Amino acid sequence: MARPEGKLKELKTAELRHEVGARSELVVKLNRRSERRIIPYGEEFIFEKLPVGTRVIYPPPPLEPLPDADQAIRYALLHPEDQDPLFAQLSPNMRVTIAIDDISLPLPQMRRPDIRERLLNQVLQTLADYGVDDVHLVIATSLHRRMTEAEIRRVVGERAFKQYWPDRLYNFDAENRAELAMLGKTEHGEEVWLSRRAAESDLLIYLNINLVPMDGGHKSVAVGLAPYQSLRHHHNVGTLRDSHSYMDPTRSALHRSSDRMGKLIHKSLNIFQIETAVNTRMYGGMLDFLHKNEDRFTDWDRTRLRGFQWTMRNMSSELRRNVLHNYAAPYGMIGVWAGDTEAVHRNALARVFQQYAVPVKGQADILIVGVPYICPYNVNSIMNPVLVQCTGMGYLFNMYRNKPLVREGGTMIICHPLRDEFHPEHHPSYIEFFHRCLAETTDAVELEKNFEQEFARNPTYIHMYRYGNAYHGVHPFYMWYWGEPARQHVGRVIAAGCEEPEVAARLGWEAADTLDEAIAMATSEQGRSASITYLHLPPLVIADVE
Amino acid sequence: MSVYGHKKSSGAPAPKPAKPPTARAAFYDLDGTLVDLNLVHAAIFTLANVGEWSGRVAYLLGLAARIPRLYMAERRDRRLLNATLFEAFKGVSRDRLLSLGEEYCERILIGHLFPRGLELIEANRAAGIEPVLVTGSPDFIVAPLARHLGVADFAANRLVFSRGRATGRLAEPVMAGDEKAAWCADYAAQRNIDLADCWGYADSHYDTAFLATFGHPVAVNPDRRLRAAALSRQWPVIHFEKAASSEQGDDFDDGRDLQHDIERSTRGSDGAA
Repeated sequence: MARPEGKLKELKTAELRHEVGARSELVVKLNRRSERRIIPYGEEFIFEKLPVGTRVIYPPPPLEPLPDADQAIRYALLHPEDQDPLFAQLSPNMRVTIAIDDISLPLPQMRRPDIRERLLNQVLQTLADYGVDDVHLVIATSLHRRMTEAEIRRVVGERAFKQYWPDRLYNFDAENRAELAMLGKTEHGEEVWLSRRAAESDLLIYLNINLVPMDGGHKSVAVGLAPYQSLRHHHNVGTLRDSHSYMDPTRSALHRSSDRMGKLIHKSLNIFQIETAVNTRMYGGMLDFLHKNEDRFTDWDRTRLRGFQWTMRNMSSELRRNVLHNYAAPYGMIGVWAGDTEAVHRNALARVFQQYAVPVKGQADILIVGVPYICPYNVNSIMNPVLVQCTGMGYLFNMYRNKPLVREGGTMIICHPLRDEFHPEHHPSYIEFFHRCLAETTDAVELEKNFEQEFARNPTYIHMYRYGNAYHGVHPFYMWYWGEPARQHVGRVIAAGCEEPEVAARLGWEAADTLDEAIAMATSEQGRSASITYLHLPPLVIADVE
Repeated sequence: MSVYGHKKSSGAPAPKPAKPPTARAAFYDLDGTLVDLNLVHAAIFTLANVGEWSGRVAYLLGLAARIPRLYMAERRDRRLLNATLFEAFKGVSRDRLLSLGEEYCERILIGHLFPRGLELIEANRAAGIEPVLVTGSPDFIVAPLARHLGVADFAANRLVFSRGRATGRLAEPVMAGDEKAAWCADYAAQRNIDLADCWGYADSHYDTAFLATFGHPVAVNPDRRLRAAALSRQWPVIHFEKAASSEQGDDFDDGRDLQHDIERSTRGSDGAA
């Protein structure tokens, strides 16, 4: 039986380079006649003229989605990688836990039915067919905020929700000590803790979505179902400084650590991993112009852009936020694999790189990125300054393999209004982190040494994490550490379009009123001949920098 | 000090051994913050149990007659609300109020404490943050509750008594609004506590000044105006909620088809392949 995704060209890693070579038109050099470029700017998109000679890197066009996603899932369950089919691993009265990726993926949320709902329906039906009744569904939130009832219902679908919520479908609680189990230590002395329910199950099934190559693999279980006691071994300054980049698991100390933990977990636990990959169709319908090369804009595209900008500008910020976060992306599933974690992840990674990778020659002196309204940690929430830092310096800087897009000592320009704005229920510890800790120092090592433990063990933050919808008290520290490789690498960060310069100063950045001013500031130091690269979003792109 | 608190409450021994003075404290409002009841409920309970039937009716009628004033006071000034409400206690004996306070606490109040609130008090205490109650409720109700919670210090409203009977007036300072904040500042100064290291928990916009006193203010189940204040001042917001009930639906093994179901040809009576 041919794989359902057989219509897609199967590529080995070696062939990938040739494949993406055909994507050379995705790297565009601007000239005097070039059109302005769309740049994400918080909850708006700006349309700005970039200097002549600027290199713009566009994401690859979306791969064709699998023609029948449900059939592909069924095939994956029946033909897993290096494991017996799911049904062959089942017996009545066994204890099964299904862990599910949380709301941080994909971004924006995808149109219904969510991939996780499709996966879950087939997995649950298989379990039911084989008489497995002791089934728990755990949202693998780790230290992320608990998903709300409505959010869970949307992700898992009506049927699973009605049958399992709330007794057998719930968020993982990393602070419920009675529900945690320590499985041992890795050869590097890393403590491996896990959800007790998962650890004591006969079978753990993980349902994953890979949006970027950072996701999936051993990281799914070893991070998603783990508490602070485990995470502190890799979510720390030393490990993250040694990750080049987060999007290249082969060169990421973060992934090496989670792999060690995952392997230890595998010794005591039977894990059936299901991974999926989605294409880059982030915006469709009336917003599909956001994906296009602006030089190929039609009048209709320009009209839609102007209409979109006018609408966004004239909404109240609350309404604008609601509209944006309620938008559901028409992502298509481009692959699904099941079975052994490592074998499954190899396939998923190859497909993700096939979708996202673009070959780029050489580094730039100045890198321009626009931080959009959303990142993994502010779904249905506010993009606060600490998250802007994480998105710009943590994620967008790391969208590379081999070498960063900006040279060492270069300048990064981050477009975002940077308002002193926080969500008091989702990000309570961020507020104190920003106003108290960052006021004392922006040095990640100092922050880790002086404040991390206090926040990680703060009773009110723990309470808000466990019973409210707050990120764990330690989470803002991780967001800060996330930007550490970029802080170590770039010489200067300028916030373009910054509305509150004191916020930029608190982050250790410089502020510029406009993008033009930011570019002028950068070139005044780098020289007029400085090379400029703009990483075009949306959707996402990973630069293979030579 | 003129307020009831600032001294060890008498009665049942505190559950924990005495500790040296702590550097940090958590100040909790009571009504709406730790319990899902309010001052009016306590007043109605007390007046409905205060004496013979005729007396009870008279007291309750007196309270009912004050409803318009209470409504206006609630909209304008929490201090005025307290003063108006406590007028209804005029003539009740101190002994009776003390026994009714114990009874109200045991029969009603403890059952209405938010479990998550208690958990938070204990977690804070375990982290070395000692609890202090600061409330507009009357002392004869707060004292037994503080004993129950093992809270050593509290500030509550006190009735003025004359020859063993309540005069209907409140002793100064009346625990409402700015007075709560002033009491906390005084309390902290006496114990060499830095309020910037302290936590405050309250539910009403009348407590905005109280919360603003602390380095770590938290709005608990905030009313609309406190929520707005919390949003603009970037104060964390906590909700103490009761568990939600679940809606039962169809099961996966009930025989209905999923959208793209697998043919279940292998299903046997024992569920095995």
